[in-house]
Amino acid sequence: MKYQTHKTDILILGSGGAGLFAALHVKKAAPDLQVTIAVKGLVGKCGCTRMVQGGYNVALGAGDSVERHFMDTIHGGKWLPHQDMAMKLCETAIIRVQELENELGCFFDRNSDGSLHHKAFAGQTFDRTVHKGDLTGIEIISRLMEQVRAMPLQMLEEYRALALIPNQAGDSITAVLMVDMRSGEFHLVRTKSVLLATGGGPTMYRYHTPSGEKSMDGLSMALRVGLKLRDMEMVQFHPTGLLAGLDTRMTGTVLEEGLRGAGGYLLNDQGVRFMLDYDPAAERATRDIVSRAIYAEMRKGNTSPHGGVYISMSHLGADNVKRQFSGMVRRCADCGFDLAGGQVEVVPTAHYFMGGVVVEPDTRCELTGLYVAGEDAGGAHGANRLGGNGVANSTVFGGIAGDVMAADIAGVNHWQDPDMSRVEVEIERAMLPFQKSAGNINAIRTRLMDIMWDDVGILRTGERLHRGLEKLASLKSELLDTGLANDNRVFNLSWHDWLNLQSLIDVSEVVASAALSRENSLGAHFREDYTSIGSLDNSYFTVATRMRDEIEINKSPVVFSIVKPGESLIDDDSFVDSNRERSQ
Amino acid sequence: MSVWRGDANAGELQHFQVPQQENQTILDLVTWIQRETEPGLAYRFSCRVGMCGSCAMMINGIPRWACRTHVQKVVQGNQVTIEPLRNMPVIRDLVCDMSEFFAKWKQAEGQFRGGKSRYDAVEQLKPDTPKRRAANAAIECINCGICYSACDVVSWNKSYLGPAALNRAWSLLNDERDQHSLLRLKAVASDAGCHNCHSHQSCTQYCPNELNPTGAIAGLKRMAAVAALRGDI
Repeated sequence: MKYQTHKTDILILGSGGAGLFAALHVKKAAPDLQVTIAVKGLVGKCGCTRMVQGGYNVALGAGDSVERHFMDTIHGGKWLPHQDMAMKLCETAIIRVQELENELGCFFDRNSDGSLHHKAFAGQTFDRTVHKGDLTGIEIISRLMEQVRAMPLQMLEEYRALALIPNQAGDSITAVLMVDMRSGEFHLVRTKSVLLATGGGPTMYRYHTPSGEKSMDGLSMALRVGLKLRDMEMVQFHPTGLLAGLDTRMTGTVLEEGLRGAGGYLLNDQGVRFMLDYDPAAERATRDIVSRAIYAEMRKGNTSPHGGVYISMSHLGADNVKRQFSGMVRRCADCGFDLAGGQVEVVPTAHYFMGGVVVEPDTRCELTGLYVAGEDAGGAHGANRLGGNGVANSTVFGGIAGDVMAADIAGVNHWQDPDMSRVEVEIERAMLPFQKSAGNINAIRTRLMDIMWDDVGILRTGERLHRGLEKLASLKSELLDTGLANDNRVFNLSWHDWLNLQSLIDVSEVVASAALSRENSLGAHFREDYTSIGSLDNSYFTVATRMRDEIEINKSPVVFSIVKPGESLIDDDSFVDSNRERSQ
Repeated sequence: MSVWRGDANAGELQHFQVPQQENQTILDLVTWIQRETEPGLAYRFSCRVGMCGSCAMMINGIPRWACRTHVQKVVQGNQVTIEPLRNMPVIRDLVCDMSEFFAKWKQAEGQFRGGKSRYDAVEQLKPDTPKRRAANAAIECINCGICYSACDVVSWNKSYLGPAALNRAWSLLNDERDQHSLLRLKAVASDAGCHNCHSHQSCTQYCPNELNPTGAIAGLKRMAAVAALRGDI
């Protein structure tokens, strides 16, 4: 199979907050470097940074501190976060928000005196979330995108990364194999360093929030070059995804957190406020608690017509709801639902991967020349991510990656040779569905989503996880035998659906294996057969690798490099109860 | 359902029977066709909820987001026709090339140039000054290309910057932190700029976010006239 070859000093995979910040920082540090951004959709328009509703956690308010932000992050993450990463996140968020405002032109909401407005967000002991209404992500990514599009760099839009290509020794990155989705042609982009910033996105679950092109390609590629993935059992579910049936893409999209914070009710099919049976904070409990409660209620069969529950806002006054949540009300209305005055069906929906590649706080990883930032990187959030720490994570570490990459390749003049046998293998892998007889790819997608939802979902048991792993293995071989009806590679979405499924199944196996190995219930991971959180002092994180199709899970002790369980950097009583909840 | 199929050279409408359902958007119909009957159908989408502006297309002749257009709102006698956005080159089927649209954004100096750095504190700025209100009123553009596609002037005059880029320039010219006003005013007052607008208001009529690019362009015309009288540009 033929392919074209290009060269670029730095290749950035992904154009969310991490990818675009990396591009800006490389160009600022070293304007002469050739930078290429490659992305599955259009630069700045696909991906999930744009979809951030809540805001950006930053300790800029009077009385707040980096230490307090850090402690909230550690408590939220159930003592599992990589503490040096979490500290870097909280420290650098300050500079990054100032950069967004002063250099990129974001304008976050102000108080009437002109100071930054900080809103309250669940699980934090201080009001520290800066925001632009309820559409913070659009402001951040639009401003980033217009800066990057004005710079002298190369954009490969609608280019899909297929594989990271190391050198023959397997210890350095040398190139990335890609396919130009518009032409279907293969490209080998040779490079001195690569940023993996494709974003996570648990779209293997029946209900999910991320954008449609998200399919865990980044972590799947990382697995295939032998990189370690940590915390892969930690999948965050958002409690209120819109539920409108399985045949519509609007199902699973987020109805924002603030609806519950403002006093919205969750009701079962009999109109009962069931949350009171599960947690004293009722609807205002944290995402994981509310998600589990809704799922439990669904299992009891107390469900709405599409199998979920209802969110109801009308007791707060329809006009009031319309004013406070205009974007959400309008979105529901466009889809045929009355959020302000009626009831809307909702279901927990897979939202975010806390897990990812094992990295250093400076974004380096085990493969020389490869850097990882954003949702592809694990460690900063531990067992649960605070709302508002997601966009902070991608923008903070994206910028750091840009700085570090520019410094690391200064003076590197040689281009390492790619392992050409891998290039051949990977092209063959991508072309496989054109060699097989046509089958029903969508049926495989549906089954994957059912397996993950039913057996590797919100409430887990060893038995179901075993069953899930068996089903995933047979689904994987079925996919490899299922071909495409159409052999034209030009903008062939069905081919990409097939490739997406391969990445998703790869990563799903890791999620299920990690979940099976963790025999306790911590943060987002809940085992009905092991409900204790286990000993925090002996906390460990799971580390997954894959060798010749076998997944291996090891346990690695958490290093309490800054603070130990029972200690605090903050000298007051805010941290007495780590599950304490504050909501807007 | 009639769907335009083709590429930059040629194309035609192709007809499909699709099942009607209670909760169904145009994006769902297109997805159904690709999954169930015509796996080669090309379309672009990402967020599914009107935040990314990737899925805009002509729906019964009007530019709309596919993801937020409920079928029941647009169906005419059990029939819907969808085509790629106007005023942009087609890549394949419903997918357009947006590179010229974004090149014009840059040409209109549609990016912030501030005077402070990441090491300075965030500026204390009251949210209710007339300038800040004007900047804010124009800010929630998601660059979906609907206004650009709706604009007749763009279709007559290929060099015209178009409503989205000019709307962004207007927002920036009202941003008190920006240091680039003169250069931007020159860019938008150029031959390709604001003076081409005939105030047909299609951009404002069809903007799904209810922005008012026509008003923004009128503001630019006034600003450019004042600057020209003063001899600034």
